[in-house]
Amino acid sequence: MEYFLSEEQKIIKKLAKRISDEYVSKVAIKYDKEGIFPKDILDLLAYTELTGVYIPKEYGGFGGGVMEMCLVVEELSRNCAGVAVSYAATALGAYPIILYGKEEQKKKYLPKIAKGELIAAFALTEADAGSDVSSIKTTAEKKGDYYILNGSKHWITNGGEADVYVVFAVTDKSKGPRGISAFIVEKGYEGFYCGKKEDKMGIRASSTTELIFEDCKVPKENLLGREGTGFIVAMKTFDRTRPGVAAMAVGIAQGAYEHAVRYAKERVQFGQPLSSFQAIQHMLADMYINIEAARAMLYSTCRMIDSGAKDFSKESSACKVFASDVAMKVTTDAVQIMGGNGYVKDYPVEKMMRDAKVTQIFEGANQIQRNIIASEIIKEY
Amino acid sequence: MKILVCIKQVVDPEKVEYNAQTKTIKRNAQYLMNNPADLSALEFALRIKDVYKDVHITTLSMGPAECESKIKELIEVGCDSCVLLSDKRLAGSDAYSTAYALAKAIEKLGNFDLILCGESSLDGETSIVPPQIAEYLNIPHIAFASNIKVLNIERIEVERKLKNLLFRFEVKLPALISVKKDSAFLRLPKLSFMIKALSYTPQILSVDDFENFDFDRVGAEGSKTSVDSFVEQSFEDVKCEIYDGIEDAQIECIADLVTRFL
Ligand SMILES: Cc1cc2nc3c(=O)[nH]c(=O)nc-3n(C[C@H](O)[C@H](O)[C@H](O)COP(=O)(O)OP(=O)(O)OC[C@H]3O[C@@H](n4cnc5c(N)ncnc54)[C@H](O)[C@@H]3O)c2cc1C
Repeated sequence: MEYFLSEEQKIIKKLAKRISDEYVSKVAIKYDKEGIFPKDILDLLAYTELTGVYIPKEYGGFGGGVMEMCLVVEELSRNCAGVAVSYAATALGAYPIILYGKEEQKKKYLPKIAKGELIAAFALTEADAGSDVSSIKTTAEKKGDYYILNGSKHWITNGGEADVYVVFAVTDKSKGPRGISAFIVEKGYEGFYCGKKEDKMGIRASSTTELIFEDCKVPKENLLGREGTGFIVAMKTFDRTRPGVAAMAVGIAQGAYEHAVRYAKERVQFGQPLSSFQAIQHMLADMYINIEAARAMLYSTCRMIDSGAKDFSKESSACKVFASDVAMKVTTDAVQIMGGNGYVKDYPVEKMMRDAKVTQIFEGANQIQRNIIASEIIKEY
Repeated sequence: MKILVCIKQVVDPEKVEYNAQTKTIKRNAQYLMNNPADLSALEFALRIKDVYKDVHITTLSMGPAECESKIKELIEVGCDSCVLLSDKRLAGSDAYSTAYALAKAIEKLGNFDLILCGESSLDGETSIVPPQIAEYLNIPHIAFASNIKVLNIERIEVERKLKNLLFRFEVKLPALISVKKDSAFLRLPKLSFMIKALSYTPQILSVDDFENFDFDRVGAEGSKTSVDSFVEQSFEDVKCEIYDGIEDAQIECIADLVTRFL
């Protein structure tokens, strides 16, 4: 379908597609199997300047927005969502700085993130605070020129690999969500360690780890926004990055669909290719319909966000839910169409089905997204 | 340092369409590609630019207007300017005529310190053009280079591999080097260069731009060689034998085949 992308957006998509097809496809199965972090691919994205597509021009980026970020994520995900999420997690770490960073913070971090010299991460979730984000327990206590952080974070994408982390901690317990603040924590700060690396079902090329803070000294100028605004920083960031998860889902679904169509045309049973059976044709048609619908919803949400709209939580959540559910359905059907060959690791769709699952879970599980959508709808009418 | 890289737009053998009746190959833009060996030469030029400041890379192509779309790809990887020598009077030129026309263009464009070419073009495979350009320009040349290193503003080191031998030359600039195919792989484009390429049009030269141009040396008429015939390669003789049966029997068949053809 023609999505009327600008010439520049078409170039971004084309370049990301080329890297995905020529490089990511070659390493996807190996990196998934061995859990290898795709630093080499991130270096290619840096060389080609795709690491800076969503960073403002004044900080050395290309000056695009959520759309440009999503186009890269979508194309990388067509071959490996693990690679895509390693790229996208830097955007998740960079957006709080773009949105709430002070001028010095922006100047210090954004140009290096744009150039791919710094990898970023976003650390909110804790063992006892997943969907219920506001119940985080990590504390930040101000002492002189420093905040002293204590606690631990779970499930942090790019953990151990990132150079800068946006970390959320409680500065005033009595204020509930209004007592949470956001900090920029650099790798190597005293008292900051990386914990266990998770052995995941999918997106295995990405690194997901625990982070541990033991009297970690963070300079006071690394406070992001004001004290007590951390919850808003997190929510406003998610509004812009949930489409990134949708893009990942659309990309995974597109990749699985392409494999399924090719396979259905080649595989012969009962003397004819699978693609001649109507049962299979309808599955392929449904894949196409759902993917195009998800992509249309994703791109229009991106356009809405990038136009400078104020409130788009509902739209952002809706495209994430729809696309991730589509990815799960399409990849499951792709496995079905490919039969036994879909179920083994020799073909990439088995990996795609595993990768798709997480898009329904992270950056707020789909149940939580539906809560957000419902509360917005109820407010509106 | 001013570097010029000669890059031909050739017909992509994967996409080529051949008209058996007219014995011609379709040269529409969608069938064209930049000659692979020339892209290796370009990669060496870009590597020099990575290391040294003030390196300006110009590319020179000779061909029909359709080549423009492929020339944009050269801007996408970081060339500074591109020139297309396009003139109907050059159509049908052989290696001898092409080298003359390119040499005239290089003279016109100015003083280059280093001129790089691919070892040969996919559709010609003569390897004659680069040394002949050097002869016309009266500069030293080294053919079939596998590596190029700039020693200083005046001198470069060139390597040439021959089976288990490695030749190492040192040559004073200006010089012309032809580069072996696959000695370097052209890098990926950069987003900012791709944006630049969107609105880029190469400088177009015609033979009218040259002084003292000898028209008798170019075109089909001025060429020393001519194509006698085009013969389409047939694959009908290729036989496919299928060895059915259990694995051990198949292995035996393969072993038998290998010994037969060794
Ligand atoms: C691979 C991976 C990478 C991640 N990367 C990051 C990262 O970089 N940074 C970061 O901060 N976090 C990250 N996360 C954490 C992720 O955002 C959480 O896993 C997610 O928000 C869900 O939290 P939970 O796992 O604790 O599930 P829980 O909150 O325990 O929820 C379990 C189930 O119950 C449902 N549920 C919970 N509450 C409700 C409710 N109120 N109504 C209805 N249903 C409900 C959920 O939908 C879910 O299906 C990552 C997670 C994974 C798996």
